[in-house]
Amino acid sequence: MMWLPLLGLILGVTLGLLSDIQIPQIYSNYLSIAILAALDSLFGGMRASLQQVYDDKIFITGFFFNIVLAIGLAFLGVHLGLDLYLAAIFAFGIRLFQNIAIIRRILLTKWANRKKNQE
Amino acid sequence: MNKFFATRKRPILFSFVFLVIGFILAFSYRTFEKTSKQEQVAPSTFEAEETYREKLITQQEKNRELSDEISVKREDVRAYEQSFSTQEEEHVHLVEEAKELRLLLGIVPTKGQGLRVTLSDAEYDPVEQNPNDYIVHESHIFKVMNELKIAGAQGIAINGQRITENSYIKCTGPVITIDDKTFPAPFVVEAIGDMDILHESLHLKGGVVDRLLLDNIVVTTEQVKNLQFPALGEESEE
Repeated sequence: MMWLPLLGLILGVTLGLLSDIQIPQIYSNYLSIAILAALDSLFGGMRASLQQVYDDKIFITGFFFNIVLAIGLAFLGVHLGLDLYLAAIFAFGIRLFQNIAIIRRILLTKWANRKKNQE
Repeated sequence: MNKFFATRKRPILFSFVFLVIGFILAFSYRTFEKTSKQEQVAPSTFEAEETYREKLITQQEKNRELSDEISVKREDVRAYEQSFSTQEEEHVHLVEEAKELRLLLGIVPTKGQGLRVTLSDAEYDPVEQNPNDYIVHESHIFKVMNELKIAGAQGIAINGQRITENSYIKCTGPVITIDDKTFPAPFVVEAIGDMDILHESLHLKGGVVDRLLLDNIVVTTEQVKNLQFPALGEESEE
């Protein structure tokens, strides 16, 4: 069952590379924010699963809602003349780093515990 | 990890999530690659414009310098032409002067209207004891010559021998020597100039002709329309 998400990733990459959709350059900011939001949600999910607080509904809703929110914020920002996408990048960037840091610490603790148990 | 994906729903869910992430990643990668290419093109065109503008500016500066140079050169040329024209005028003057000087020197053949004065010895007169009293002396010729020169003769020849500034006339008995050439009487003094003036100047009352007549010399003057003098040293031997 491990290969199914991997298959999904490959399929998505292929679709993205093969798609002929052209988007204007000013909307390229939205894409970067969407990526950031998606990665944030993914790492958030990893952290949650490692902390034993993972929930499918929270993960999925968070994943899509974050993407939509980030894109909406950026869209609003473009139309108001404000660089609101910076807020999204800021928030998601900080959370991304925090999540990765937490994951690293948990993994380190686990590794240390395992070493102690072996001894 | 296997435990995490143990439930049935989760792998499908995650495969969907990964599909979305993969799609966004690939799509943004493609878009950014394109836009970055466009951005690469844009600065290059900007730079090209800049370089072209700089080239244009340098070219314009060069043009300006060259046009300045042209105006300077043109000024030079104008000055040259001006000096050249003045020089040409001077040249014309010089040529005329040279012509006159050559006429004076007698090194060019000349022709023109003039006066021919013939001085002949008087007929033998038994009353006169001294033949010097009735032959033509060089002083008589000098008188005629001087009078003709004063009257504006441009060239004088005696018996076809050009008289110049350096000529000398010597009385050697019944003949005279002009520039090492001996001439007998009658002496024909020819002068180029205004023939009327020359004629009048010789025939003044108490003038040269009267005095010559007093010295028993036969003087005949003749106005000639077309006198021809050879150049000095080219005289026909007579």
